[in-house]
Amino acid sequence: MSSRFSGFSLPGGEEPQRRWWIPLVWLLAALGCGWIVATTPVTADLTAFVPRADPVADLLLEQLRSGPTTRLMLIGLAGDSEVARATVSRRLAEHLKNNERFTRVANGADALPEADLQTLFTHRYQLSPTVAPERFTTVGLRAALEQRLRELQSPLAVLQKRWLPGDPTGELLTLLRVWRGGVGEPAKRLGVWFSPDGEHALLLAETRASGYDLAGQRAAVAAVRASFAAAGAGAEVKLTMSGPGVLATLAEDQVRAEAELRSTLATVAMVLILIGVYRSARTVWVGALPMLVALLAGAAAVDLLFGKMYMITLAFSITLLGETLDYPTYLFSHRRSGETVEETLCQLWPTLRLCAATTLLGCLAMITPDFPGLSQLGVFTLAGIAAAVATTRWLLPALLPSGWIPPRPGEIGAWADRLLEPRPKLALAFGALGVLLLTVLIVRAPPLWEDDIAALSPAPRALLRLDQELRAALGAPEVGRLIVIAASDAETALRHGERIAAWLDARRAEGALDGYDGPMRYLPSQQTQQWRQAQLPTPETLETHLANATTGLPFKSGLFQPFLDAVAAARAAPPLRPEDLRGTLLGTRLDALLLAGERGWSALLPLSGVRDARALIGGLPQAADSQAHYLDLRVETNRLVADFRDTALIRFGWGAALIVAVVWVGLRSWRGVAAALLPVLLALVVVVAALLALGERLSLFHLVSLLLVLGIGVDYGLFFSRPGADPAARRRTLHALLVCCGSALTVFILLSTSALPALHAIGLTVSLGVMASFVAALTLARPLLTRMS
Amino acid sequence: MKRWGWWWLLWGWPLGLPAADEVLDQVMRALAAVPAVEAVFREEKTLAILQEPLVTSGVLTYRAPAYLRKQTLRPRPEEYEADDHWLTVETPTDGRRQFDLNGYPQLRPFVEAIRATQAGDRATLERYYQLDFQGTPAGWSLRLTPREPEFARYLTAIVIRGRAASISSVETLEADGDRSLMTVNPR
Repeated sequence: MSSRFSGFSLPGGEEPQRRWWIPLVWLLAALGCGWIVATTPVTADLTAFVPRADPVADLLLEQLRSGPTTRLMLIGLAGDSEVARATVSRRLAEHLKNNERFTRVANGADALPEADLQTLFTHRYQLSPTVAPERFTTVGLRAALEQRLRELQSPLAVLQKRWLPGDPTGELLTLLRVWRGGVGEPAKRLGVWFSPDGEHALLLAETRASGYDLAGQRAAVAAVRASFAAAGAGAEVKLTMSGPGVLATLAEDQVRAEAELRSTLATVAMVLILIGVYRSARTVWVGALPMLVALLAGAAAVDLLFGKMYMITLAFSITLLGETLDYPTYLFSHRRSGETVEETLCQLWPTLRLCAATTLLGCLAMITPDFPGLSQLGVFTLAGIAAAVATTRWLLPALLPSGWIPPRPGEIGAWADRLLEPRPKLALAFGALGVLLLTVLIVRAPPLWEDDIAALSPAPRALLRLDQELRAALGAPEVGRLIVIAASDAETALRHGERIAAWLDARRAEGALDGYDGPMRYLPSQQTQQWRQAQLPTPETLETHLANATTGLPFKSGLFQPFLDAVAAARAAPPLRPEDLRGTLLGTRLDALLLAGERGWSALLPLSGVRDARALIGGLPQAADSQAHYLDLRVETNRLVADFRDTALIRFGWGAALIVAVVWVGLRSWRGVAAALLPVLLALVVVVAALLALGERLSLFHLVSLLLVLGIGVDYGLFFSRPGADPAARRRTLHALLVCCGSALTVFILLSTSALPALHAIGLTVSLGVMASFVAALTLARPLLTRMS
Repeated sequence: MKRWGWWWLLWGWPLGLPAADEVLDQVMRALAAVPAVEAVFREEKTLAILQEPLVTSGVLTYRAPAYLRKQTLRPRPEEYEADDHWLTVETPTDGRRQFDLNGYPQLRPFVEAIRATQAGDRATLERYYQLDFQGTPAGWSLRLTPREPEFARYLTAIVIRGRAASISSVETLEADGDRSLMTVNPR
């Protein structure tokens, strides 16, 4: 090979040395990057979308990350008989209640356990909202006793009368009513929850792990399956599960399986194309190198700068780096005999570096301190593209024998000349089509964006449908509307909650909402507890009042001694605190609504049947040392995604301006700029129009795909309008672009046939875009140059 | 005579069971044939916490197959109405409240003790109770012992006495020793 080496610009003696140290540097860098990547976590949380310094968004995030709604697991049991479903439901609940991974398991059969009843009973004078001074006067006691007597005549008295001697004023009954109330419950059959049509027995489990702790959720899902296997033995009952965590794990499994299948197919297709075109196995591994290096470098750069990587960054960045697969192809197709690899690259370099520079600058615009997700995407692509172009330029010539030529190089028949012939009329027609489509788009202004965050979910649609069905049947809050109170401590949060509860009662009376829940319903603030304790009469007074009240009633004398003792004890009892309820069913319900976070405590007041959100936002009572916010999780999340997208669009706009600038710097000619960029502009318009015509709404997946189309399309434009290329070189360029376009089409059409919304969106957008870019660059680039020159 | 008494026991015991079972079926069939009942009742509850028994009275209404209403008139008006799996309770203080009996497993056996007996629905009775029948079609008593331990915590047994196709009294024996006796007179 050194005999074919022409000694181009370098003394022959340095050649072997150069060949040695470049791969070594790359290897060391790759190892370093690999180590960084391996030691940095990938997280699946939504902070990627959230702008910094938005207090509502912060609360929202905390909700999405660890709030009770994300930890819910919805379980449905179908098949076999109603009795079998109910039996399995009971046994499954029994199993899961003993499992550490779940903080709460409910199937409707959750009468309070005896221990919890006793807790409520012991603290009834602090907890019951009906405790008031008039309740302990002679008149009040008399009314209560008469009421108890009436209840005794009921056939249901058998269930309650044991509480009577200690609780003649019926505080426990009040507390049980509070406990049963709150947010709506599904219908019951055979004592457990069932869907309205009776097809599914329903259970609700709350995991200890957050919805975004995929490992924890996976373990919880496995625990449910194992418990079901034990509980459902012998019955023909089928298990269905849903909920944010379940969806995430199932989606991850399905996405992984689907992505693995598709990427294997895509890789096989790529390999076949490269081998088929160039008849060389070497093109396969050499061709893959820039992409691999780009992935490693991009991931390492993000990990170094941010300390963690968002799953969505990874997915989007891999898409964007698709462009790097084209770089080695340009080299392969432009190889010819009588020229070293180094020389070919030197000729290609001005165009190639312009291709890379346009993408690099486009990505630079994405880096903004406000949106970590967008910045990560920018950094990842920036580092990846830089590494890939450097690999193509310096590593490939060091690895390839200097005179290497693929067995079937980029020679192309005479038909190519006809294809390459400038056709100004066709170009004009294409341009007119673009202007027409753009006008139609602007005039008709069809709904462009998909604002529902559900569309971003990688979960298959069938799973999401199941989730909705189970939710509807369980009456679980589908649209999470709640009031969040942020305070420095639990007591402040509870006090504020009590004020809001009183205010909400008035709003409910006006019909603004159906109901609400909240921690203060289960545990009043210490202030309120102490107020209630202060209302309790002294033992002497109470005894006198009671004696007067019982006169003439048939109760046995001395029956109410436990009552006298309890009131005397309650007067001096210490207030009940959240930690006193730990480990009980009451405590778990409280824990779900009163959370200790990084910056203090938050109290959650889930709302149901909100009809007038404005009335709730407007008059929400505030306090001096705590803040209350009305949150509509769906609206807020969608707003965040829309904000993210708007910021991204503005950034892409800046990126486009930078691209124009850098192309001008590279070509020093406005004609060149027009020839390189107008085709891709036309292609983008055509793709957007085609997507809308196909009934798609644009989500972030489409947007990122359009960015890849922009990157690839600019490359096509640059290569088709390469200055000073002779007809033979132009044929080789056509060959290279045909291979690039063909392989990109194959890969992305494979993706577009996927049932997963994300893969489908990416596949469809990029394959349409690559096709449109190729045709537009082929027809427009030359005429734009030649007509003007 | 004493010796023969033993013989009677030995012979009568195994033979007596199928016989009682058959009579129970006969009574159940007779009860099932009744399309509607309207009766007045008087109930006397003896409770440990009260000095004197609590006496109530009112009207019982039944319509085959699944409607039963217990309307207390004295001393205070109160109404319990069970229709299929719905229980409606109406009291002057709390107004009308509706419960799904499916959701309150501890209530259902109380309702079924009277309703399923009057409907002649032996299968439903056996779902909640162990049945112990004595007597003849003309005069019988049916002792219902709860099967569910959860329910047995409250209730020892319900004894229903009847003549031919009508119930004449329902005696409830609670686990804590309290008891009530409701006598029923068709109108």
